[in-house]
Amino acid sequence: MSFAPRFRQGMRAAIPVWIAFVPSSIAWGIAAQDHGLTLTEVLLLSAWVYSGPAQFAVLGPLASNRSALQVLIAGSLMNLRFVPMSAALGPFFRAVTRWHLLFSSQVVSASSFIVPYLQFQKERDTDNGARSGADGYGNLAFFLGVGVTAYSIWVVGTTVGFGVALGFPSGFDEALKFILPGYFAGLLVAEMKGWAVALICAASLVAAVPGALVSEGWGWLATAIVIAVSIWGLEEWNFRASKSS
Amino acid sequence: MELSRVQIILILGLVALGFRAVPLLFNAGKKFPETLDRLLRYLSYALLCSIISTTLFMKGARFEADAAPYRALALIVAVVITRLTKSAVTGMLVGMALVLALGWMR
Repeated sequence: MSFAPRFRQGMRAAIPVWIAFVPSSIAWGIAAQDHGLTLTEVLLLSAWVYSGPAQFAVLGPLASNRSALQVLIAGSLMNLRFVPMSAALGPFFRAVTRWHLLFSSQVVSASSFIVPYLQFQKERDTDNGARSGADGYGNLAFFLGVGVTAYSIWVVGTTVGFGVALGFPSGFDEALKFILPGYFAGLLVAEMKGWAVALICAASLVAAVPGALVSEGWGWLATAIVIAVSIWGLEEWNFRASKSS
Repeated sequence: MELSRVQIILILGLVALGFRAVPLLFNAGKKFPETLDRLLRYLSYALLCSIISTTLFMKGARFEADAAPYRALALIVAVVITRLTKSAVTGMLVGMALVLALGWMR
């Protein structure tokens, strides 16, 4: 299949992602304006970093002029999840040149990963592997159909949110402060599965404030890392113990 | 050396691009270990929850003890509404309305 029809197929598959991106991008734009970021900074974050959770993670530290190292560690830890996503997509883009892959990789996000990945897997299963990977440019077109349109909506949405926040009457500070935490808490709850994730979320919610009181800049970051690694270690240990018994 | 906010954003984006591009360019076809994948997911869940907590309950280095109870209540209500309606937007809007109402009543 040539590039354009496959791109359009990706666009159609991305409609649920667009619907999800509209409120979250607007919410982030509103929160960014409320934190005192400029429109240039908001646009740069959305277009260049392009990662909702990382943008949320760095918003507070960036706005309060915390150390660059802290902002970079918080944002980069959040963005590490792109590594397995890109690694999983790689086999489906066989024969695509490195330059094309480099430019396309900018639109990898959690949502624009899952839609093409599931589609490629389905096609591999139904075609007995005939299309998967072999039609690298066709797959890239589908991926870009999802990724480029979702990316555009994200960037435009944050700009709209920034503009909307300028028009908010005073006295709505409390509501603005709640937008991103409330939205991300909802997203986490929606995809929460298993005891480990629930425990990580509960422990991190409780421990972050004492951690931040001990060290305003690093405390919350350190507690989050310790909690995630400890529960992951516990789960691994439990898994190995049950396998060996 | 002090970096400006724009410089920090540029570096952050460059690191993000590296995380996105390097596995696509040099690691295509190799399976990412499931256990490491899980660790990365756990790290992002823990960081998100920590940020939710500090954003809602802290102002700078200070714990906002007077506002914490009603913000916590709004967060719990938002989570329950999200769970029931399966819509994060609905949960967020209800939580926002509640936090506004409780803030004005204080």
